[in-house]
Amino acid sequence: MREKLTYGLALGAAAMFTYTLYRILLMLPDELMQGAIYRIMFFHIPAGIIGMIGFFVSMTMSVWYLSSKDLKFDSLAASVVEVAVLFACINIVTGSIWARIIWGVWWTWDYRLTSQLVCVLIFFGYLALRRAIDEPTQRARLSAALNIFGCVDVVIVWKSIEWFRNNHPGPVLSIRTGGGQMDPRMDHTVYLNLIPLLLTGIALVLVRTRQEATAREIDSLRRLAHAAA
Amino acid sequence: MNMAQNSTFLFYGFLAAWVIVLLYVISLAQRGAKLKKELEDVKQLVNSKAEESRVR
Amino acid sequence: MAAKDLAIEVRTKESINAAGAFSIAILLIFSFAFDPFSDSMHEFAGGLLWIAFAFAGALVFNRGFARELPNECLDALLSSPLSASSLVLGKALANFVMLIAVELISLFVFGIFYNINWVKHPWALAATLALATWGIAVLGSVFGAMTVNLRLRELMLPVIIYPLLIPLLIGAIEFTTILLGVDPIASSDWLWPKLLLLYDVVFTAVSILLADTILVN
Repeated sequence: MREKLTYGLALGAAAMFTYTLYRILLMLPDELMQGAIYRIMFFHIPAGIIGMIGFFVSMTMSVWYLSSKDLKFDSLAASVVEVAVLFACINIVTGSIWARIIWGVWWTWDYRLTSQLVCVLIFFGYLALRRAIDEPTQRARLSAALNIFGCVDVVIVWKSIEWFRNNHPGPVLSIRTGGGQMDPRMDHTVYLNLIPLLLTGIALVLVRTRQEATAREIDSLRRLAHAAA
Repeated sequence: MNMAQNSTFLFYGFLAAWVIVLLYVISLAQRGAKLKKELEDVKQLVNSKAEESRVR
Repeated sequence: MAAKDLAIEVRTKESINAAGAFSIAILLIFSFAFDPFSDSMHEFAGGLLWIAFAFAGALVFNRGFARELPNECLDALLSSPLSASSLVLGKALANFVMLIAVELISLFVFGIFYNINWVKHPWALAATLALATWGIAVLGSVFGAMTVNLRLRELMLPVIIYPLLIPLLIGAIEFTTILLGVDPIASSDWLWPKLLLLYDVVFTAVSILLADTILVN
């Protein structure tokens, strides 16, 4: 059942990607001032959105774990963090490549890229912590606490770095400016590309969670084996 | 910056995004294979222990 | 709780000595990296100081809970009627006092090495030191507690803490640079102490809420 769901999601994502890539590469014209490179936005922006959503979803999972003590939520939290970090990295790398063309440098310390980097570092710490603890319940408990600290910090990080620097192009997506700033076809394509990326992300989370469940099964079987000895 | 360079970097950008995903998927696959093997080993261990206790 | 740690510290002076020496060493090394008497030194002053303080702080925290490990003192403390949050806050308070001591010594040395006048806005500077140091102390204590039983403890603590501390350090660095600089304080500059205050309030609250989760097995 779960396998079928995962394959279904992957196929759905692949199908949508063919459509969106067609739109991105062939249907839309080059942007007046930026040339072809702006098309990277269609991966850069959705990846960033999914990364952020992922961090907060994982915090919810961590809180759920702490209240229910069901390790399933801990596995979910960890898997979602991994995939969210993946998308955040994609956001940073594509943003950096775009910056190289537009601003001439690989990195500009602009506030959004920097904030995203800090978030990635925070959650690298989370993943490192999980690696360092062997006992499952302790690992779940401590990483859940760190996750909450991390997510609370994410909000403060974004605000504080925004106050500190301001270089990034202002909001152009219609949800933030109320429309009119971007060719609507481009705007729609950004949201459109969000869907296959999201589907891919969910598929990855499902695979990862399944692996965590397998790891728990191994753990309990091992304990059984030792008890029988 | 001329058009050719522009498109080249666009290609790099897309490539980067997909390579990152691909690397992650490969690492997932490796982890999965390792877990599978471990599961088999542990199951065998449990079975052999069960055999032992039955024999005794 | 805080009193006990401070009493140990006053008698042995181990953390303060190490952290103080480390901080001064950093200031010294930086003097080779930048020209200490250039006019632009004012722009780096805040950053330099807080880098030194942040790293010196790590030394202090590593000792903090590590001290409880021999003879299972930590378990004894946990089974006492003391609540987990009091334990963490007590440690934080002790770390806070120790860090402030290190900072004051460093500030004094810094003023001499780099010819920076730091008594221009004494109260604002004191407030900044207090607010930022409290934030560092609280996080250091909470995560010191979290990592105390892990392998690679000394490595894990900085890896986890420094990204989390970034907003705090931004606020501290910005405002300290302004306070040590030549321009008067603009009204928009008060944003930074407010950030420090927000950070402290939020993270102290979260720490108290999660103290039980982290410490109690």
